[in-house]
Amino acid sequence: MGNTVKYAYIVARVRAMKSKLIPKEMYPKFLNMEIPEITRFIGESEYKNDVEELGKKYSGTDLFEHALNQNLALTYRKLIEVSQNEANLLITEYLRSWDIWNIKTIIRGKFSGAKEEEILEDLVSAGQLGYRDLLEIIKVGTVEGVIAALEGTPYYPALEGFKGNLAEIENNLDRTYYSNIIKAAEDTGNKLFLKFLRTEIDLKNLKMLFRMKRAGMERDEITKLLIPGGMELKANDLARLSSLTFPEFVRALEEYSYWEAIADISNEFTSLINIETRLDKYGLVYASRISYYYPLSVLPILDYILSKKIEVDNLRMIVRGKETTLPEEIIKAHLVM
Amino acid sequence: MVVDPSQAGMIAVGAGIAVGLAGIGAGMGEQAIGAAAVGAMAEDEKFFGKGLLMTVIPESIAIFGLVVALILLFVF
Repeated sequence: MGNTVKYAYIVARVRAMKSKLIPKEMYPKFLNMEIPEITRFIGESEYKNDVEELGKKYSGTDLFEHALNQNLALTYRKLIEVSQNEANLLITEYLRSWDIWNIKTIIRGKFSGAKEEEILEDLVSAGQLGYRDLLEIIKVGTVEGVIAALEGTPYYPALEGFKGNLAEIENNLDRTYYSNIIKAAEDTGNKLFLKFLRTEIDLKNLKMLFRMKRAGMERDEITKLLIPGGMELKANDLARLSSLTFPEFVRALEEYSYWEAIADISNEFTSLINIETRLDKYGLVYASRISYYYPLSVLPILDYILSKKIEVDNLRMIVRGKETTLPEEIIKAHLVM
Repeated sequence: MVVDPSQAGMIAVGAGIAVGLAGIGAGMGEQAIGAAAVGAMAEDEKFFGKGLLMTVIPESIAIFGLVVALILLFVF
């Protein structure tokens, strides 16, 4: 009874929000539209306020990009604001992934000497670091300065000791995020949340394994980049998969349930994009399915968070693809629907 | 039917319990539905009608309790 009441309000609200997402039947139509038409459509949808607000400052695809990011950040912030107790804690912890995203973006930007505005374009202030915090951090000139500005946050231990290796601290940030969130989930005893997280870790590790295997990296280098705590891919599975050659690795994957996501394209593993899109889709379908098994739990909220992110990614892909005149098939291959 | 004063008292207690427990049961049912209805309405006002209808459905339990209480009080 307790759990039912605790989640009734937020789940009903999230379900109503999910019903307003752009239906997947719309994406093929977007592919036939021009950028101004898509922007007009978006300007009349749930993104209306963001497009109107930012319309004075930006135009074209920049307006589109900023409106999507702002809407995503506001939607996620709203979830934190309207939830209570356990749901609030779990959503807050889960959305810390955006802090990781923002820190990585700022550090990458500083590392490559990008302008402040360019870095700002890719930030989504949906985590615990607000827009103003991020603005302050961006103003710092160097990577070391950015790291020093983050002192006192939960992310600092992953960043301190930076010696110029960007991949290493990015990997440290991911590991810190997942170890912190798993600890928070274990403290609350919410097994459904843990199950969702562990599946997400598996999918992330699988993507990483595919990329590393394709790049021909050695076992030791690969295992350093993998995140522990997966559902099916435990430490020994990851160690075994890391040591196999690419064809052996593909055959070994048949033992796991994730194989169903990529089985139909097993003869054409030449394109990483196809594999990653399939794995993203698997994650989306999985989240949606288990959210119906446990309707009054944190899962429908996580399903919405994931669906919203994929909607924004799809829209961005379509517009960026059209801007760079990519063929329709390539844009379509990138869409998760 | 003729009832003595002690039986009349027990009937009144029974009627009270029937209404009270039915009310508590209806309230327990309504709290989750009400919370969900308010959540849905906060996102879309169009859910007002459906939300209201869903919220009052457990109220039938309270009516059953009332009917039992009335039967106890006026039939016996």
